[in-house]
Amino acid sequence: MGITRPRTYDRLETRAALLFLAPAFLLLVLFVFFPMFRALWISFQYYNLINNASAEWIGLDNYRNLLQDESFRASLFHSFYFAAVVIPVQTAIALGLALLVRGKFKGVGFFRTVYFLPVVVSFAVASTVFRLIYNKDYGMLNAILKGFGLPPVDFLSSPKIAMIGIIILCIWKAMGFFMVVFLAGLNNIPQELYEAAEVDGAGRVHRFFRITLPLLKRTMAFVVIITTMDALKIFVPVFVTTSGGPAGATSTVVFYVYETAFKQMNLGYASAAAFLFFCIVLVISIIQLRMFRSDVEY
Amino acid sequence: MRKKLLLLLCALLLSTAGLAACSSSKSSSQDGGASSSAPSASAGGGEEPVEITFWRHDYGPEADSINKMIATFEKQYPHIKVKMELIPNDQYETKIRTALAGGNPPDIMALDGPTLASYAHQGAVIPLDEYMNRDGNKDDIAKPVLESLTYNGKIYAAPHNDSSLAMFYNKKMFEAKGIPLPSKNPDEAWTWEQVLDAARKLNDPDNGVYGWNPTPWGFAGHEGAPYSEMTFLWQAGAEILSPDGTTAKGYLDSPEAKKALEFWKSLYNTEKVAPKELPQDAFPNGKVAIHIDGPWAFSYLETNFPNFKLGEDYDVAPLWKDVKQVTPNGSWNMAITAQSKHPDEAWLFVNWVTGIEGAKQWYQDTKNLPARLSTAEAFPELQQYPMNIFVEQSAKYAKPRPVTPAYPAISEAIRLLFEEVGLGNVDVDEALARAVKKIDEGIANVK
Repeated sequence: MGITRPRTYDRLETRAALLFLAPAFLLLVLFVFFPMFRALWISFQYYNLINNASAEWIGLDNYRNLLQDESFRASLFHSFYFAAVVIPVQTAIALGLALLVRGKFKGVGFFRTVYFLPVVVSFAVASTVFRLIYNKDYGMLNAILKGFGLPPVDFLSSPKIAMIGIIILCIWKAMGFFMVVFLAGLNNIPQELYEAAEVDGAGRVHRFFRITLPLLKRTMAFVVIITTMDALKIFVPVFVTTSGGPAGATSTVVFYVYETAFKQMNLGYASAAAFLFFCIVLVISIIQLRMFRSDVEY
Repeated sequence: MRKKLLLLLCALLLSTAGLAACSSSKSSSQDGGASSSAPSASAGGGEEPVEITFWRHDYGPEADSINKMIATFEKQYPHIKVKMELIPNDQYETKIRTALAGGNPPDIMALDGPTLASYAHQGAVIPLDEYMNRDGNKDDIAKPVLESLTYNGKIYAAPHNDSSLAMFYNKKMFEAKGIPLPSKNPDEAWTWEQVLDAARKLNDPDNGVYGWNPTPWGFAGHEGAPYSEMTFLWQAGAEILSPDGTTAKGYLDSPEAKKALEFWKSLYNTEKVAPKELPQDAFPNGKVAIHIDGPWAFSYLETNFPNFKLGEDYDVAPLWKDVKQVTPNGSWNMAITAQSKHPDEAWLFVNWVTGIEGAKQWYQDTKNLPARLSTAEAFPELQQYPMNIFVEQSAKYAKPRPVTPAYPAISEAIRLLFEEVGLGNVDVDEALARAVKKIDEGIANVK
């Protein structure tokens, strides 16, 4: 009898746990796993958005065609180009800003607020405003460049540099958020370590590379992984600012998926593109998680 | 976002499947009595009450006009209630497509001309021929408009109105440079060369003035761009598709199309008379000397730029031509969905709004270019300058965009083609080859 009691207790405990988990799990199944499974299912079919009666099983055809699809490959390239620039540049700027506003001086709150402000602005509004700023003939940016005697920059109409215009907008928008994350990370580093280093004669640069950076590894991991995901799934600024143009130069994968599903109404093909991209992002995330495994504890 | 979209879609699919099941069981009991007696329902005694839903994109003045007509309609047919739902413009197509996929679309949907064949081909909307022949006064609708609403020999929608584009020019700038003004006669359109010649003289880069803006919204990401760009190809004598609609090869890449695109390319890159980025209100602000716009521009300019007056500051001439005079057409229409439980009642309302009397009311409220000949005759102002230019153009020179379920691919290919050539200064042959490939893939994808 003495043995069964804890068993019953365990069982009750497990049952309670399961009961508590059930609602969240059911919601996940209903709104995440089931739709994902359906999307996977649809990706193996010819499936018209507005007429699911015409759906037809075509196996791997969608995937095979995608690999040869010039516009899909171009959109993949655009997404990765965007991410490759945004991840290092935005992280460096956010860290730099965090270091600047980390100290306690008069007016620091003001600067922290100002740098954070773009995060609060809606993406649609920011994109619309940047459209005006970027205008080649009348935009503020070019008025300033002209003042310095520089040639005008046509971010919105030159296919060669349009993506850079989107990149600047996105970094401006997101840097404040990651600044705050870095700020939290910086405040977690014990002050004694810096004091000890100073006693040992370490300069500012030395302290940054030997103490700050290694101890920020966890924060850094969080920032880089989140930035990667955000960057790869970029959609709204493209949709509002350039609609994928000029001449398709800013069409990212998510934008491509949206266009294919809702404009071309080819839901099967769009689902296949989404899944292919999902797999790529999954692999990248796994690699990143492994790379950032921290061996420094404090 | 990707995941979110799919989620959203599937969530919608799920929830709507449930809803559809409920509603169908409810309304099927009403069906028998109402639909059989509906065509002659005007007396309104004894019929079971029916509610029909109507979805359309949100545009204030047009919604007001429809609300007026709903009020009179409900007075005439007391047993029918019309529920109009307005959806923000940029979400309209997505919302209606998701609803069709989910199985709970409205009875009547607003339908943009070029999307007609896609919806018709997928069986989402029903043919209206029977209704049209009975009491729709089909012969009163302008031929090119009717053609744009006909797919596989059947009419799938009833038009609110038509649309067209004409050449708007800054009269004071013309006079300052001593350029003779173009004729106001719809049959005496300027040629491309004549317009370019004037544009060269009017171009003033130092003051930010462009001579000629050849597409109304600039390089926009929406249908407005291909709507006007296609006419450039047709004016040069090119075609987009083969007559049977099966391929673009040999048509879109013809020497005529190449000539049109070389000309287009030169406007932006060598002549530099056309703005690559069109700022808001460039024409009334004097930043563009020759512009292209539709009849909707008059009320807009009158309200927002009261000091920029027709006849004093600007005037209108027929749209330019090359070897052919061709103008665009097509606008928004009303269609009845295949899933509607009350198509007969729905038609009563569609015909109330788009029929002879409704069309007159619509013109009075919205000043849109009429699709019905009777409307054009009923208002003297439509036979006078400047509206006569649009009316006569649509009767004589209008050419509808290709009516094919592959149209979304065509629209996209044409838009990118003109962007690549105009903005990207890409080789015309290369860009054309890509466009032809894209369209032919789009056609192959239609099943």
